[in-house]
Amino acid sequence: MNKIMKRYVPFMKAGVQSLIIYRLNFMGFVIGGLIYCFVMFYLWRAVFESNGGGIFLGFSMTDMVVYLFLSNTTTQLIFSDVSNEIGEEIRDGSISMRLLRPVNTDLSYMFGELGTALMKLVVLLIPVILGLEIYRFYVTGTIVFNPLNFLLYLFSAVLAYIISFRVNLCFGFIAFYVKNLWGIGILKNSVIGFLSGSLIPIAFMPEGLRICLEYLPFASMSYTPVMIYMGKYGAYEVLFRIAIQIIWAILLYGLSKLIWFGAIKKLCIQGG
Amino acid sequence: MRRALKIYRLLVVQNLKRLMEYRADFLTGAVSFLIDQAVGIGFIFIIFSQIPQLAGFTFPQILFIYGLSQIPKGLDHLLTDNLWCIGYFIVRKGDFDKYLIRPINPLFHVIAENFQVDAIGELVVGIGLLVYAAPNADLHITVWTVLLSLIAIPFATLIYTSLKIMTSALAFWMKSSGFIIQMVYGMNEFAKYPTTIYSFPVRIFVTYIIPFAFTGYYLSLYILTGTDPLLSIGGVILISSVLFVISILIWNKGISAYESAGA
Repeated sequence: MNKIMKRYVPFMKAGVQSLIIYRLNFMGFVIGGLIYCFVMFYLWRAVFESNGGGIFLGFSMTDMVVYLFLSNTTTQLIFSDVSNEIGEEIRDGSISMRLLRPVNTDLSYMFGELGTALMKLVVLLIPVILGLEIYRFYVTGTIVFNPLNFLLYLFSAVLAYIISFRVNLCFGFIAFYVKNLWGIGILKNSVIGFLSGSLIPIAFMPEGLRICLEYLPFASMSYTPVMIYMGKYGAYEVLFRIAIQIIWAILLYGLSKLIWFGAIKKLCIQGG
Repeated sequence: MRRALKIYRLLVVQNLKRLMEYRADFLTGAVSFLIDQAVGIGFIFIIFSQIPQLAGFTFPQILFIYGLSQIPKGLDHLLTDNLWCIGYFIVRKGDFDKYLIRPINPLFHVIAENFQVDAIGELVVGIGLLVYAAPNADLHITVWTVLLSLIAIPFATLIYTSLKIMTSALAFWMKSSGFIIQMVYGMNEFAKYPTTIYSFPVRIFVTYIIPFAFTGYYLSLYILTGTDPLLSIGGVILISSVLFVISILIWNKGISAYESAGA
């Protein structure tokens, strides 16, 4: 265990450092996300008003605010850039350096991202949760914060990250075939945004679609942890949803390995 | 002017040649933007399956505003996409030198150099929505409303372009301004919905400071209500012209502050 840590901690440090160096880009990302949340906030407020206020499909306006900001933050927290990174490394050939090192390829990518995720936890998640709880206290007059739900949320978010990482790994291998990684990135973000419920809560979707989406891996990526935090699930349902997350994490692990072993044989580095 | 058009034609032809070479890339880009749009529209469909109207507008009217707002966005995306590269890396790497040593206007050269066909995704969806929503949106269709709205579209496009020129020009001082372009550009989200849903400070902000409200809501207001062309169409033309002049001033000041990279 100690040996493993010694081997992978430098990747984590590199992740933290790159976030610090590119902090302006990171801030742009965060502010962009917040602007989006505010647009959605006003849109939902108008929707609630048109609906005569009160409860809309089981969500109050306060719920909606918590959902919007927390699902956006969770999406950023579990965000994985490994598809881009792998794509670039395949293209410029530097992936060969990574393959030569005596480290596990997946783990080395993962630890790099773990560093940035930890930073985001401190500078993003904690302030957002604090802000939301103050807002909820201000609106409802009581403290609604539930430490157990928060811990379950964190656990579920870790699983969400593993799923997101594996899905991204699979996307990254598309770089073997297509060069327009930037277009693929837009495609991936909008598809995942919709299917994961970060754009519109899955609970609002038409019945058939909702049931489908709840069992797809995308719901496990932000919807499940956020709903757990909000206390929308009972004890059994929490266990059930987390079980689904674990199953997807294992399945996607297998799938990404399978594609990897297939792709690595084809890997052909030009000039590098 | 004729020379400029000739140069522009030559550069676009070069771009189209490159496109034919990398067809899969082009398809990926266009399909990606198309799906990105479809997701945005799916969102409105789901909301309206629950409520009859939003801020006094019916479903077809909201789709009309949304659709019209995508057209200036798409046109700007089609024509001036290279400005992003100025902000992200051209200035930082010192590659801006090449625009300065050629006998054409640098800004014109930068813009003419790239013809971004990915924008077809936005344009197809925008026009598609207009055609789909128009029959049921209670439009006031007269010669004047249609003509003035068509005239206003290039001006609304100019709002996007001016904001991109301004923010990318900041790179001349800061070396890299990609994240600022991203941040300001991202506010076009506000343009998709009626400005009346926002609170007062936000409304002021998207109308007068980062005036994206004019690229969607105000642009469609005249044809939707048939009244007040001065406020809506006049506003688009006035604001975009002012913004464009300011952006050119900033750009020119930026070029004189430009220092090439060491290499």
